[in-house]
Amino acid sequence: MAALTPYTYIQCPCSDSSTLGRSSGPNSPTGSEGDEDDRTFDPRAPRSNYSLYPLEYLLYCEDCHQIRCPRCVSEEIVTYYCPNCLFEVPSSTIKSEGNRCTRSCFQCPICIGPLAVTSVETKPDPGLLAATDNTAAPHSGPYALTCSYCNWSSTEVGIKFDKPNSIHAQLAKLRNGGTTRLTAKERKERRKDPSYRSQAAATTGSEGGAGPGKEEKLDLETQFANLKSFYQRQLADPNSADTGLASLSDLGFSSPTSLSRIMSIYTGGSLQDKKAKSRVGAMREALESDEGLQIADLDESAAIDKLQTDGHDGTASTAQLLDQIPNLGEAHLHGRSRFLSELRPIPYLLRAKRSKRCPVCRHIISKPEAKIQTTRFRIRLVAGSYIPSLAIRPLSLSSASSTSSSGASVPGALLEPLKPTHFLLTFRNPIFDTIKVTLGAPAKTPGRFPSKVTVLCPEFEIDANTDVWDEALKDSGERERERERERRARRGGFEESTTTSSSNNHNNNNNNNAQNQLEVGKIWERGRNWVSIVVEVVPPSLKLGDSTGDGGGVLREDEDVLEIPMFVRVEWESEGGGDEVAVAARDTSGGSKEAREKRELAYWCVLGLGRIRRS
Amino acid sequence: MSAPAGSAPLPHRSVANIRSPSGAGHHQSGPSTPLRAIPSNFGSPSSLRADEEIIIIEFGTRKLQVGFSGDPAPRGCIWFGPDQQRRVGDFREWQTDYRYDWRRAAAGGLWGKDHELWQYDVRGADLGLVGDRIERALREAFTKYMLIDSRPRRMVWILPSSLPIPLLSAALDSIFSRFQPPTVSLLSSSLALTVGAGVRSALVVDLGWSETVVTSVYEYREVGSSRSIRGGRMLVEQTHKLLARHLPEARGGQDNSQEYVLSFEECNDITTRMVWCNARQRSRPYQPSSDALATVQEQDETKLEGLSPGRMHGPVVIPLKSWLSPTSLELPFDALAEPCENTFFDSQYSHTSFDDHELPLHLLVYRSLLQLPVDVRALCMSRIIFTGGCSNVLGLRKRVFDEVSAIVRERGWDPVQGKGVQQFRTNPNLNLKRRVARQAGEGPTGVALQSGDGEEQDGVWHDAANTVPEPDPFEEQLKRGTDKRPRVQGEMRAIESLGAWSGASLITHLKASALATVDREAWLQHGAAGASKPSDVDHKAQRQSLGAGGLMRGSAAGSAWTLGIWGAT
Repeated sequence: MAALTPYTYIQCPCSDSSTLGRSSGPNSPTGSEGDEDDRTFDPRAPRSNYSLYPLEYLLYCEDCHQIRCPRCVSEEIVTYYCPNCLFEVPSSTIKSEGNRCTRSCFQCPICIGPLAVTSVETKPDPGLLAATDNTAAPHSGPYALTCSYCNWSSTEVGIKFDKPNSIHAQLAKLRNGGTTRLTAKERKERRKDPSYRSQAAATTGSEGGAGPGKEEKLDLETQFANLKSFYQRQLADPNSADTGLASLSDLGFSSPTSLSRIMSIYTGGSLQDKKAKSRVGAMREALESDEGLQIADLDESAAIDKLQTDGHDGTASTAQLLDQIPNLGEAHLHGRSRFLSELRPIPYLLRAKRSKRCPVCRHIISKPEAKIQTTRFRIRLVAGSYIPSLAIRPLSLSSASSTSSSGASVPGALLEPLKPTHFLLTFRNPIFDTIKVTLGAPAKTPGRFPSKVTVLCPEFEIDANTDVWDEALKDSGERERERERERRARRGGFEESTTTSSSNNHNNNNNNNAQNQLEVGKIWERGRNWVSIVVEVVPPSLKLGDSTGDGGGVLREDEDVLEIPMFVRVEWESEGGGDEVAVAARDTSGGSKEAREKRELAYWCVLGLGRIRRS
Repeated sequence: MSAPAGSAPLPHRSVANIRSPSGAGHHQSGPSTPLRAIPSNFGSPSSLRADEEIIIIEFGTRKLQVGFSGDPAPRGCIWFGPDQQRRVGDFREWQTDYRYDWRRAAAGGLWGKDHELWQYDVRGADLGLVGDRIERALREAFTKYMLIDSRPRRMVWILPSSLPIPLLSAALDSIFSRFQPPTVSLLSSSLALTVGAGVRSALVVDLGWSETVVTSVYEYREVGSSRSIRGGRMLVEQTHKLLARHLPEARGGQDNSQEYVLSFEECNDITTRMVWCNARQRSRPYQPSSDALATVQEQDETKLEGLSPGRMHGPVVIPLKSWLSPTSLELPFDALAEPCENTFFDSQYSHTSFDDHELPLHLLVYRSLLQLPVDVRALCMSRIIFTGGCSNVLGLRKRVFDEVSAIVRERGWDPVQGKGVQQFRTNPNLNLKRRVARQAGEGPTGVALQSGDGEEQDGVWHDAANTVPEPDPFEEQLKRGTDKRPRVQGEMRAIESLGAWSGASLITHLKASALATVDREAWLQHGAAGASKPSDVDHKAQRQSLGAGGLMRGSAAGSAWTLGIWGAT
């Protein structure tokens, strides 16, 4: 069982079912028990996995004073680029060429490593006489894509290139095995070439089939193109055979079309044209391959034989097939791309840099630099600088039972069932105002194995994140002085407050009087902008004997992890007149209101404390 | 979903229906009579934005395919799996020492279930979870494959027509509240497949994951559908059984506590890689072979014999990782055809021993053809489209096709079978007169003859097929358009479709209307309850208009919109 470092997840308030359009409460029996307002958030419910985020993933809107998670921001594309060659791709290319890099960036179909273009001809081998004519032209000759990680080469699937550049375009014309195929553009040109057959084929469709492509198996792209043009032809020119019946059908069958015809008279426009268009003519179906009809070739015995000879090793795994893009050059996907020999190099998926906006107030909350090579952000309002961060550390109180308690104080150690354990939660205030934190945690965690939780100090204040030197230099402000008096056990400078290790040592040194400090309602420790409180948990014993409910008698994954749902409510008064940027921004949003504004933020979070030892 | 086959003379679909524009709010304004499809020139200005990207999403039980309309293939395909259900920022699957503990998941009754988006059995289903999963998958698809921003875009969904309404509702809830599409248009997958094949009528054999669905589409309308639980899931389970049987320690059977000894992922992998399907064997002895047996079957057998000696030898080595200890299993190659055989055909049992929900594939196809009216059947049988994940099993399509052809050759289109019928049929005294009488008035096509043949014993049914149809102006009008070139009908033929996604891409690209269009505002206000039930609107019209037109009526009214065939509960 892997060790588990304590973690914190935060549920974005947007995931609250009441804020969504319509609640699916009665339909989700496992999601949330009870309809009352103060229901406990169950971190183990399957739905919770979709709404919990680590603090680092969350953004914050300064104007709405809300947490924004990846689900509740609206995104805008800044640039598209290829992650391999780092070239910017214009958005028009995305539309026309698709979402893959169209230069020479490919991934290995076996191991998804990057492929490099190399010359097929090996380096002159001194042992071979045949190598002499290779040396004559070292830079010419066919090229192949090779993977430097798994040594796959595109020659394995019979693909070689004439030129070392613009591999994508070359690959589009090559089938596996080296046979060429026509691209869509070439096909279009070829179809146009013999006397504009496609246009004429609308009236006399039979002649359209005389093309060279009649007998050949259509690949997907061709079939799609053929079908599309066929349907378009059919829709554009309905059969002109209807004379008398057309009016009848117009009246009885689809009178909007007759309406449209009448309207077209008034709205002007070519009557003849409209009439032809509005005439009801049955669209016939595609009859031949030129029109997109493809008779299925059901005989797959060749593939079965190949399957037998190649065996399991000759087939591609599910993961490999998953990475393959639908190969438009192949006839059909049935039974295709099953063998390793049918895999193709994967062009790199393009990526996009996105700026993010608050969906409510449309303010930008994250904006990266447009330049691809830089990873900097112009604007990035991460939630970590607005909401208190939470660190969890096990706390060993009694030095008497040395073995077990020292074991518990090591981070990641297993928790003893049914034995009270203490954890130190350190809240750190990132903003420049004093915040008031109220915690709420259920006495028993939800789930099959409820553990008892006691938050010893559920309500406390954290001092503002003032400048360190400010505090040292100016000893001003009545409130500050008051607070200073209140502060007990304030130990020295800020070094200790920032480094947890030093305070850890301190705790271990002061184990004896730690017992005294463990009082309900008292803060454990306090620093410049942080407060530590103690949470006592009694882990359950993971006995599965009488579990008759869902899930059977086996622990599910992560069910032995002790997770506490905790409702955090943060209140603060934003101050005016500060010189800090954040405060200034808040003021402008506040407008002409009074300088101090009450703010509050409330959210569920989940504290993962550790694994429970199995009995 | 399945309208009874002979319910009514089916009205035909007109181009006007196809041509009317889909989607965004053209129903919101314009001189629209509520019950009509609106021609394109009276759409609201929003439909003028023709180059607006429309997102097409195909929902499957195990995957989601997403792309833009007008593209020949989807841009991205997202498979559902346990990894997708983790929390954001949970990177344990990338840790070297981490392995997905499938045993625990299997013990929770989840073997393979966490690879499914939904089960059609919605009792006790967590619909919110379904919505969440769709949202996450879609978000991944949008970010990774589509590379689009989050501006509202119209969506077209391709759904299996048997999707329960709670699931549809959950999906719509999730998407409307998270992605803000102005409208979501719904298309049935069989219809999209038919369009993707370029035909107007087809028999869609969807060898899907949870079940196999045979849908008959006639003139762009679903006229019948029958299902069997023999699908991909069963195939993977059979593969698991096969592998477990060959494992060395499973023979002792000491591992009874665990139902599954191998992980789903591995079995699924092996199934997609290695499982194949036998060609058709010679007909079973208890089946009376009729004299009409064609030479085709003989060819099949010779081919089979030609191949089989090679197949007998040469074991296949399959590495197994998820067993107690990694091992490799040697299997005869023929054994790998067993799962397919057991799943889809079960040929060791008699035809009569199956329940309705577990018919073998060939019987399922045959019966659904049999239930169709003659003319529909004639068209459908020569437009069989195989689709779904299991159609990738090598040889399966041919096998089903051959089996069905064989049944047709043996029995014709006779819904009644058995010894009594056999005696009755062979009795010359009873039979002769009628046959002569029938043949005089009937067309000479083979199918019609056979069906007429069969229906003689069935006093209830045969009239519809044999009476002279009253002249139908629409029918004639249709014929004018189509019959310049003969339609292929009455012979067994399989055709290839581009796939449901590509078909829907075509439909949307050509601005045909969808089965139903759900407006965001209307949905958020009322939800599924706001959809007028098709029965309330006009049951008959609704039923018959599974094609585009009828369902647009509902949405055209603005106030009364339907969920199309999915709302018909």
